Amino acid sequence: MANEIDFDEILSKYRSDPYDYVDVCATHTGIVRCLVTEGAEVAAPSGQWLHVPGTVLYEITRERNSKLVTSQTNGTVAEIHCEHDGKFVEAGEKLMTIRHPLKKKEIIENILKQVLFLFPAPEKAKYFFSLDIQSRVEKKGAQTVSVKPGDEIITMSLMKRDTPVYYQGEPGVVHSVYFKPGISVEQGDPLIGVCSPEKLPLIQKIITKVKADWDARM
Amino acid sequence: MTAGEPGAMIFPTAEELKRFILDHELPLRSREFADAATVFRYGAFVGSTLEHHDTLERTMDRARTLINITEDADKSVASGTVITARTLSCSRGRFSRSWHAPTGGLWGCLIHANTLLAASRRFLSLAVGVACCEAVRQVGTTASYLRWVNDVLIDKKKVAGFLIQGYSGLHRHGEYDLIGFGINLNNRTFPAELQATAISLTEKIGEPVDLYHFTLVFLAKMSWNIGLLYYEEARDLSGDGFSGSGGQHLLLQRWKELSDTVGQRVVYGQNVFDAPLYEATVVELQDDGALLLQLDDGSCMSVQSGEIRYV
Repeated sequence: MANEIDFDEILSKYRSDPYDYVDVCATHTGIVRCLVTEGAEVAAPSGQWLHVPGTVLYEITRERNSKLVTSQTNGTVAEIHCEHDGKFVEAGEKLMTIRHPLKKKEIIENILKQVLFLFPAPEKAKYFFSLDIQSRVEKKGAQTVSVKPGDEIITMSLMKRDTPVYYQGEPGVVHSVYFKPGISVEQGDPLIGVCSPEKLPLIQKIITKVKADWDARM
Repeated sequence: MTAGEPGAMIFPTAEELKRFILDHELPLRSREFADAATVFRYGAFVGSTLEHHDTLERTMDRARTLINITEDADKSVASGTVITARTLSCSRGRFSRSWHAPTGGLWGCLIHANTLLAASRRFLSLAVGVACCEAVRQVGTTASYLRWVNDVLIDKKKVAGFLIQGYSGLHRHGEYDLIGFGINLNNRTFPAELQATAISLTEKIGEPVDLYHFTLVFLAKMSWNIGLLYYEEARDLSGDGFSGSGGQHLLLQRWKELSDTVGQRVVYGQNVFDAPLYEATVVELQDDGALLLQLDDGSCMSVQSGEIRYV
């Protein structure tokens, strides 16, 4: 967890280039066929349950089974590796990069992720707080919830098997919650962001500063 | 528990279960699957210890206590330990739902030490449902079906339900799955809130169910279906692929044979009774056990958790 943060440097970076660059890699081995071109606009999954797939990016075929892979983010195809088109690739081969325009909230979250301790999801599953904590989060906000290593605060639900997830990390208060009821979280993606109570003023300072800076740009 | 104590005559011993598997379940399975003995070797731990009680508050709580007492003594609880009770005084289902557990039903918990890879462990819920549905069909009625994930239904009412919870021992932090099961056999009456949705096997077949025999059949089928998870995992790791038709996982193949879920119009939700989310039509059970749902706008969703009820 960073103690000091150079606001000017970070904000200057986001001012000059307010984008995320998301690499799209082959999901598994197979023959790929690119279905977008450089400069194309692509859409993220949408709908209330994120059930409407994003733009189809490429097709990958392995042992006569073809699969269409869709975009997980919105933006523009900034770079595409045409040399792979129609060729066999290994899993993880980089196929293209999507330039995703960041919103103010995303910039704040990106900066906060450098300051908070991020507790990751152990498996791809749905997650929810235990009932008493959910009630506290709804009534008084996540920051009223303190955690320490070994605490059982989240339940992982997968195929009707409910497993308590024990917090491992720095003790502190829950500042950010990255999961939503009913939406799956990928393995390794953060579930919560935690900081010590004394860091809360720093966090607030970051949020205020980014908001002010962003609003001044508009 | 010794003979003469309450419950002793109703529930089998571990030795009786072992004998039943060798004499009945193994020959039955061997007729359809050449490598059945190997599957049973993988599943042999199920029912290695059987602990019977006359009354407990909840068998899951007893399982947690047993794990902690054993760890406290620097030992490990036997994987496959089954705890049963003739009645439960504080039983409940998922989301603290009411579960009525008077005498006449089979109420219990299986302790499973977590030794499966994540890809196999996710099928544990399916395996338990398949085992129960097979037992109900063999002992009572063929008119029983699985509703995703593992509800066993007769005449659209629930005859059995399962609650699977992960648990880590307090002292040694061993990881376990606690598989709670509740099967309505000879219990005929239900509280008002369950009357529209619950049924017992005796109601369907019109005669009493032999609880001792049903317990043997159910645990033998648990041994097979959980053994199958290990068997298929080993095959897959060795590069032989799964042994079901078309290379599919044998447990998923069996689940599909026993289920009437595909094609149904359903309501889906994480907690579908208290907080239903949306209606959809079930397209298929996917290779990872997830359910593919088609929404009214034509889009599809793959759901890996939550529950459904039929419309």
